[in-house]
Amino acid sequence: MSQDKHITIQQAAEIIKDGSSLTFSGFTIWRRPFAIVYELIRQYRKNLHLIEVNGGPQTEFLVGAGCVDIWESCWVGHELYGKYGANLSRKVADKEIIVEDYSHAEMLFRFVAGASGAPYAVTQTSLGTDIHNPEYDMLGKAGLRDGKRIAKEKYVFTEDPFFDGGQVVHVPAAKVDVALLCVQQVGEEGTVRVDGQFYSDPEVARAADITIVMAEEIVPEEYLRRNADQNTIASFEVDHIVQCPYGAHPTGMFGHYDVDGPFLKDFYSGTRTQEGYDAFAKEWIHGLDHHSYLEKLGWPRILKMRANSALNFCPREKKGGN
Amino acid sequence: MSDFASPEEYGLADLLCCAAAHEVQDNEVVFAGTGLPMVAIMLAQQTHAPDLKLIFEAGTLDGRPLELPTSVGDARCEMGSSRASGLNDAFSIAQRGYVDLGFLGGAEVDLYGNVNTTCIGDYLDPDLRLTGSGGNPDINSFASRTVFIMVHEKRRFVENTSYITSPGWRVKKWPGGEFVHRKELYGSAYRGGPSAIISTMGVFRFADEEDGHMYLDTCHPGVTPQQIQEQCQFKLDVSRIQGETLVPTREELHFIHDVLDPDEIFIPKVKK
Repeated sequence: MSQDKHITIQQAAEIIKDGSSLTFSGFTIWRRPFAIVYELIRQYRKNLHLIEVNGGPQTEFLVGAGCVDIWESCWVGHELYGKYGANLSRKVADKEIIVEDYSHAEMLFRFVAGASGAPYAVTQTSLGTDIHNPEYDMLGKAGLRDGKRIAKEKYVFTEDPFFDGGQVVHVPAAKVDVALLCVQQVGEEGTVRVDGQFYSDPEVARAADITIVMAEEIVPEEYLRRNADQNTIASFEVDHIVQCPYGAHPTGMFGHYDVDGPFLKDFYSGTRTQEGYDAFAKEWIHGLDHHSYLEKLGWPRILKMRANSALNFCPREKKGGN
Repeated sequence: MSDFASPEEYGLADLLCCAAAHEVQDNEVVFAGTGLPMVAIMLAQQTHAPDLKLIFEAGTLDGRPLELPTSVGDARCEMGSSRASGLNDAFSIAQRGYVDLGFLGGAEVDLYGNVNTTCIGDYLDPDLRLTGSGGNPDINSFASRTVFIMVHEKRRFVENTSYITSPGWRVKKWPGGEFVHRKELYGSAYRGGPSAIISTMGVFRFADEEDGHMYLDTCHPGVTPQQIQEQCQFKLDVSRIQGETLVPTREELHFIHDVLDPDEIFIPKVKK
């Protein structure tokens, strides 16, 4: 038996220091580690560097709270519940945040490189776009490209040296301090089983120096090891585990609960201004813990999102239906 | 014979959805976007393209969802699919060249199909930061054809986009930024590019074997080429126009509203 990996939500947040680089499990509005994100905001974490395959509500909550100095990614929004990241837009306009744009595939390949210990990835995506404009290397302009945690170059272009395939672009490996994952099941020793699409979870967990897994439930390792082919991440890739049912809310959890669309809509429409964000945070984040947050949401709202166990999602009530 | 709906039976969203569905050919591998394109692809699957293969960017391959997903990460994507995995599969498969067609959107487009979803105004001092690229440039780089669905306004059909997020037919060659045909950059990875733009006024295509400029293909019913030109900042080629965009059939409207999107998540029903 290896060492005890159990920690609390508060301890998970404390592992992430001011100035840490951070990434997350999930995809846009699904399986984001919200209970820990809220705790980071309660603890007034500062100067975070987010490196995300894609952003989402977790980006917007942290950015609005002033926790983030640098955001490296490709997209932020709330899907059909909010068309763009209004908090990020506001901080960009006020020059309070550095945004480094890559394409979605480039971000993914950067994590694939990071996860496999390669210094960079090679691809042929997004050639000819302003994503590759040398004037738009924002970390370079800020003098932050130290060649240690932040790559010396944003891109390097070469010609395919092997097959004369034309121009290729090298993108640096993603080097991240902490990955926060939010999944259905983790074993006592850290084995992770993700149900449904696993997005880029295996790559972000492997690329990060410290991986913290928050799960709907912690289950006996032996149970997961009976069908090891169904597991997503190996035990020793995970450093800490936290049990936290409904920890992804307001984002969704395949097989457990759907996205809380009205919550995201309220957040999006109410936090265009800093005053709006602060009011939202006062109501839903500060002074609460995970249990009092769930109590505030209330049973009727939680039950309305509950997934059907045969379908893994919450079927819609048909209008005028049978 | 096709049973075309009369004007009071369909709305603009229905027209766009059907026009998008008509871009899909049977047996194609199609990369789905969120929203109206997802309904369009599933409409094609129900009608003329039963063997199309649907890929969701978050990691679902050959999806056949029971209920309309609201985004590509949705729990609804997985059931019925051939494989549910992750982005490394979706993007590797796309870069490998499996994808025939992708549906995309944008805030601005120029004469050569370069699309912007990143910011309005100077990137270094923007008037408005938008969502960012997402997978738009990736799908547009990897797929053989891409189709954009856009609101048609003069501020969106522009001479120069504020930022080129997604590559059209004439793109910037770095480090200088001079415009070249995309073939010059993509080398053996070149498979095609933007094939159509379906706007709220008409359908546009590209002279991709020439200089790659956009031309007007069809006008939506009740819209004239002059009205469309007035809503473009650039001089639009109207010399190849083929008449009117096909209107929805009653069968298509049945699939959209009774089968695919009965809850009007993406396509509102016409008020009668």
